[in-house]
Amino acid sequence: MSDKFSRRDFLKLAGVGAASTAILTGCGPASRYVTREPYMLMPEYNYNGQSTFYATTCRECAAGCGLVVRTSQGRAIKTEGNANHPLNLGKTCARGQATLHGLYNPDRVTDPIKRTRGNAAGTTVTWDDATQTVADALKNYKPEEIAFLMGTTSDHLFDLLTDLSAQTGINSPVRFGALSMFEARATLSKAAENLFGEAGMPLFDVGGAQVVFSFGANFLETWLSPVSYTRGFAGLREAQSKKRGTFIQFESRMSSTAGKADEWLPLRPGTEALVVLAIGRLASELRGGPLPRAFADVDPADAASKSGIKLETLEHLAEMFANSTGALAIPGGTALGQSNGLAVAEAVLALNAIADNFGKPGGVFFSALAPNQTEYQRSASVKEMQEFVQKMADGKFKVLFVHGVNPVFELPASSDFKNALKSVEQVISFATFPDETALEADYVFPDHHALESWGYQRVVTGSAQPVLSGSQPVVSPFYNTRATVDVLIAAAQLAGGKFAEALPFKDEVEFLQSKVASLMSETDGFFAAPDINTFMAYFQQYGGWWKTTDARTIPNTADVLNRNLVGAEAEFAGEGEFFFVPFVSPTLAEAGANKPWLQELPDPTTTVMWNTWVEINPETAHELGLEDDDVVKITSEAGVLEVPVYRYPAIRPDTIAIPFGQGYTAYGQYAANRGVNPADLLGQHFNEAGDLAFAGMKVKIEKTGKKQPLSRLESIMGVYGVGLGEEH
Amino acid sequence: MIRPEEIKMSAEHVGKWGMVIDQDICTGCQACVAACAMENNISFVGEKDSGYGRSMHWIRIERFWEGEYPEVKMTPNQPMLCQQCNSATCEPVCPAFATVHSQAEQLNLQIYNRCVGTRYCGNNCPYQVRSFNWRDYERPEPLSNQLNPDVTVRRMGVMEKCTFCIQRIHKAQDKAKAEGREVVDGEFTTACAQACPASAITFGRVDDPESLVSQLAQRGHGLKHLEELGTLPNVTYFKGG
Amino acid sequence: MIKRFFDWLKQPLGLIAVGIAVLTLFSIAAYGLYTTQQPPEQPIQFPHKTHVAFGIQCLYCHPGAARGPAAGIPTQAKCWGCHNQIVKTQTSLLLAPLKEAVESGTPIEWVPVAQVPDFVQFNHRAHIAAGQNCENCHGDMTKVNIAENPQVFNMGWCLDCHVKNAGEDHVKLVKLTDCGTCHY
Repeated sequence: MSDKFSRRDFLKLAGVGAASTAILTGCGPASRYVTREPYMLMPEYNYNGQSTFYATTCRECAAGCGLVVRTSQGRAIKTEGNANHPLNLGKTCARGQATLHGLYNPDRVTDPIKRTRGNAAGTTVTWDDATQTVADALKNYKPEEIAFLMGTTSDHLFDLLTDLSAQTGINSPVRFGALSMFEARATLSKAAENLFGEAGMPLFDVGGAQVVFSFGANFLETWLSPVSYTRGFAGLREAQSKKRGTFIQFESRMSSTAGKADEWLPLRPGTEALVVLAIGRLASELRGGPLPRAFADVDPADAASKSGIKLETLEHLAEMFANSTGALAIPGGTALGQSNGLAVAEAVLALNAIADNFGKPGGVFFSALAPNQTEYQRSASVKEMQEFVQKMADGKFKVLFVHGVNPVFELPASSDFKNALKSVEQVISFATFPDETALEADYVFPDHHALESWGYQRVVTGSAQPVLSGSQPVVSPFYNTRATVDVLIAAAQLAGGKFAEALPFKDEVEFLQSKVASLMSETDGFFAAPDINTFMAYFQQYGGWWKTTDARTIPNTADVLNRNLVGAEAEFAGEGEFFFVPFVSPTLAEAGANKPWLQELPDPTTTVMWNTWVEINPETAHELGLEDDDVVKITSEAGVLEVPVYRYPAIRPDTIAIPFGQGYTAYGQYAANRGVNPADLLGQHFNEAGDLAFAGMKVKIEKTGKKQPLSRLESIMGVYGVGLGEEH
Repeated sequence: MIRPEEIKMSAEHVGKWGMVIDQDICTGCQACVAACAMENNISFVGEKDSGYGRSMHWIRIERFWEGEYPEVKMTPNQPMLCQQCNSATCEPVCPAFATVHSQAEQLNLQIYNRCVGTRYCGNNCPYQVRSFNWRDYERPEPLSNQLNPDVTVRRMGVMEKCTFCIQRIHKAQDKAKAEGREVVDGEFTTACAQACPASAITFGRVDDPESLVSQLAQRGHGLKHLEELGTLPNVTYFKGG
Repeated sequence: MIKRFFDWLKQPLGLIAVGIAVLTLFSIAAYGLYTTQQPPEQPIQFPHKTHVAFGIQCLYCHPGAARGPAAGIPTQAKCWGCHNQIVKTQTSLLLAPLKEAVESGTPIEWVPVAQVPDFVQFNHRAHIAAGQNCENCHGDMTKVNIAENPQVFNMGWCLDCHVKNAGEDHVKLVKLTDCGTCHY
C-alpha cells in the first residue's frame, strides 16, 4: 500500500458505504410491510385494478353538466364530462375537474354536530338525535316560523321542500347563490318578461352567430352555463360551413371573456344602455325604413361622448351589426348589475330585433323548460333575500334550515345576514364543509358530497333539449354524513301527522323514483322503459334523462321595437373617484376556494394564484404612486378592504376591479383567511328587477405603505426575488 | 441490443404522438390545467412556493399583452406544455440518463427513479415546461384517495413534466392488444384534450396521415414554437384570428 | 486535519478499525437483504400449497391477473364462498381470524409479498398474454405455505427476461426495453 491514501481507495471505500446505505434505506424491510385491505364488498362487476365508471351530475355550479367519474377500488379518481349529456358533450370546466378535491377535502364536516354559535368546536351527536332535532323543529314551531334557505344545486331537494311546504304550510324554500347574484338572473328574466310577455331564461345561440356583441356577459367564465357557452364560442370561431365569426365585448375591464374578443370596448360604466340604443339607432338607420320607437330617443353623438367610445367606432359597430347575416347581442354580468340594469337588458334584447334573429340559428331563444318542470323558476334576487333577512331579523322565522349555500359569505356584508341569524331561535345547517354559515348554526347535519349523493338537477339553459341531469353516488360516503333528503324524510315520519303524510317515502331513492316516474311515459325521451326499476337503471347509467327534440321556444317579439326604451345613465353610490367592478373569479367562482388545486390555478388574465388583488390601470397606479403588490385601502360607503395592487393594462383608468371568490373566514384550511371579499364593499342598491347593483359603487383608494407579494405565474423569476414586480 | 446504426438520427424522426392546439378558440379557462393535475397526481405547492415560480403546472396557459390602454390586446391564449420534441434539448444534458427519448413511443421521458435532481434538463428546455419538486409537498389526508394509481407519485428532488398521458397511451394499447386490434384514432385522448370545453386541443398519431390530428395540422398556418432551434416539436399551434 | 485522519487510518489499529467498520456495514447490509427475502408476517397463515393441491387455479382467487395490472388479493367473501361449507372452518384455530373477519365485517389486512416499487407500472395482463405462467415469477406454489418471493424483482431481472423473449424481433425489443414501458 502506498503511503498516501489514494483518491481511488477513497472512492472504493465511499462506494461500499454508499452501497450499504442504499441497501439499508432503499430495499430494507421497512418499505415492505405495507398492508392492504381488500375491497370488502366489491360490486360483482368490479375487478381488481380495473376502473369502474359512474355517470352523475356536477354540483360545482347550477348549470348541471353531466360527469362520468372514474373510480378504482371504491375511490373516485378522476372526473370527466359525460359524452352523451346534451349540455356539456363530454367536457368539463376546471371546477368540475377539481370536484374531487371537495370530496376528499381534509376539512369536511365528518359527523353531525351541535355547537354554540360561532364556536368552531362542537360536540358530535348521533344521527338519531339529529333526526329527532329536525323532527322537533318541524313539529314544535308554527309552519310560518320555519324557513328553508337553499343553494342553486340539488333540485330534487328543492322539489321535496316545495312539496313539503305545499302540504304543511311551512314557507316555500328560497334559493340563492352568489353566482346568480353576479349573473343578475332576475334582471335577465324580468327584461325578457317585459319585452316578450313571458318570463324565462333567454338562450343565446353563440355558435350559430356571425357577429356577437356582448355587453358585460362573461359567458366564457362562470355565466349561466360556461361549458355550453364555451362550446358555442368555439362554434362561432371555427365552424366549417361559415367564415370565422366576430366577437365584440363591451365592458370597462377586460375580463377573460373580453380577452377573446376581436374588439374590446372599454365604455364608461353606466353608459351601457346609451351605447346599446345608439348602436340600435345607427343600425336601424343603415337598414332603412322607419326608425323604431325603441331607438328613437337616443342621440348617438351624446352616447359617444358620455361613454367614451368614438362616434366613428359606434358607426362602424352599427354597420357591422346591421350588415351581418347573423348578429347577436347578449346582456349580462356587470352591465346588468347597475341601477339601470333592467333598461340595459331590455335594450340589448331589443337590439336583437334589428338583427331579426329570434328563434333563428345564431339568435335568441327561450331555454327549454326542463323535464318535470311547468314554469321557469329562478333563484332569489338580493332584494328578495333582503326581505328574507328582514323577516329573520324581525323574529318571524324561528327555525332556519340552510343547505348548499353560505349566505354569511355570499351575501354582501351590508345585508347583515350574520346579525339577522341571531334573531332566529334555531339554525340548522346541512353544510358539507365548515363554512361561515355552518359556524353560526346551532347544528350542522352534514349532507354527503355531490359525488356521494343521489339526486337530479334541471338544466336551466345551455341545451336545446330539455335535460334532467341525474346524480348517483359514485363512491360510498367517506364520512358519517347523511343525505339531507333522507334526514328530512325520517324527521317528517317522526314528526308524524301532516309531515308524515307529505313525505310518505322510505328513502331518498324512493322519492326520486316518484319524481321521475312521470317521464317513463314520455315518447320523445332519449330512452324509455316499461317499469320504474328499468327506468332508474337507465337513468343512472346514462346520467339522466333528456328529450331528443329541440324544445327551445321562440320569444313573442311583436312588440319589442315599439316600446319606449330609456337610455339614462346609471347612478352610482358612494363618494370615491373610481368605479368599482367586482367580478367572479373564473377559476374559483363562489365556492371553489377550499379546493387547493383551484387555488393554484392561475387567473386567466392576471395569472395570480392563491390570493385576491385589485386591478388598477398602470397609468392610474403611476399617478397614485402605486407599484405592483402595494397594499391599498379601498373605501366604499359600505365597507373598507385592504388588498394588494395588480397593475392591469386592460382596465379603464377610472375603474378598479376585484375578483370575488376569496376572503373566507372559515371554509377549511385552503380558503380561510386568504384574500378579501369584494362583496364587503357593496351597499344595498338595487336595479328595477331587484338584483343588486353590484357594479354601481364608487370607491376611494388610499396607499397604505404595506406590501404583499402576489404569487403570479407570469413571473417566471418568482415574485419574491430580484426584479420584484417588474414584469408584465 | 439496439445497435447504433439502427437508431436513425433523431432529426429524421417523425414523431408518433402529437397535438394540435387552436389558440383562436382557447378561452384560457384552465380546465386543462386542472384536468392534468387531477390525472397526473401533480402536487400543489401553496402560495409561497408558487410565488417563487415553483408551481408544478405541466400545462400552463400563457397570455401576453400587446399595446397600451385603450389599444391594449391580449394575445391568443397559448397553452404551453412539453412539446415532446423529436430532437429534445433536455435529453443530452441529463447526466443520469433520466431524461431519455422513448424509441417505442417517440416521447421525451422523465424516469423519476433515475432522476437525481440536477435540473439541467429544466434549465436547457427552451419552453420552460419542466417543473422540479423542491419539497415533498404536503397532501393532507384524505386527499391522497384521489391519486391516480397509474401514475407514480413523485417526491422531493425529482424533475417532472408532461408525459402526453403516457399511462393512457399504454392503457389504450393494452386494451387494443387484448382485443386483438390496433388502437383507433380518437379512442382515447389526453386529460387536457378530454376536458377542454372548447375542444381546442386535439391529440393523436402524427405519423398516421389519416388521423384527425394530422388532418388538422395540415390546415395551413400552423406554427411550431421555437422551431428554429431544431427541436422538432410535436405540438402544432394555430393562432387564428 | 483530514490528512492526519487518513494517516491514522493507515496505522495497524486504524486498519483494524476500518475492517470492523466495513464488516459491520456489510453484515447490516446482508441482514437487510436477508430480511427482504423472508415471507412477511401475515394475519392468516395461508397455505397456498393446500389450496393448489385441491386443484384451485391461481386465477380463481387472483382473477385480475388475466385482465389488467393487478392480480388482486381476494375478498373474504370469496374465501367464505368455499369455507362456509367446510366444517373445519368453524373449529380450526388457524382459520379463526377468517371466521372473525367475516362475522365482524372487518377486512383482513394482508401483507403483499410480490411488490414492485411505486415508480414501476407493472401489468399482469400483458405477461399472461405473452404466455408467462404465474410460477415463472412467483415460484411454485405447490411447495410453499405463505407466498414468498423466489427472486428479487429488480430491473435487471425484468430486463433479462424481456431481452430473452424479444429475441431477434427488433420492434419488440425496442418496446420491451423502453424506459417508458414501465416507468411513468
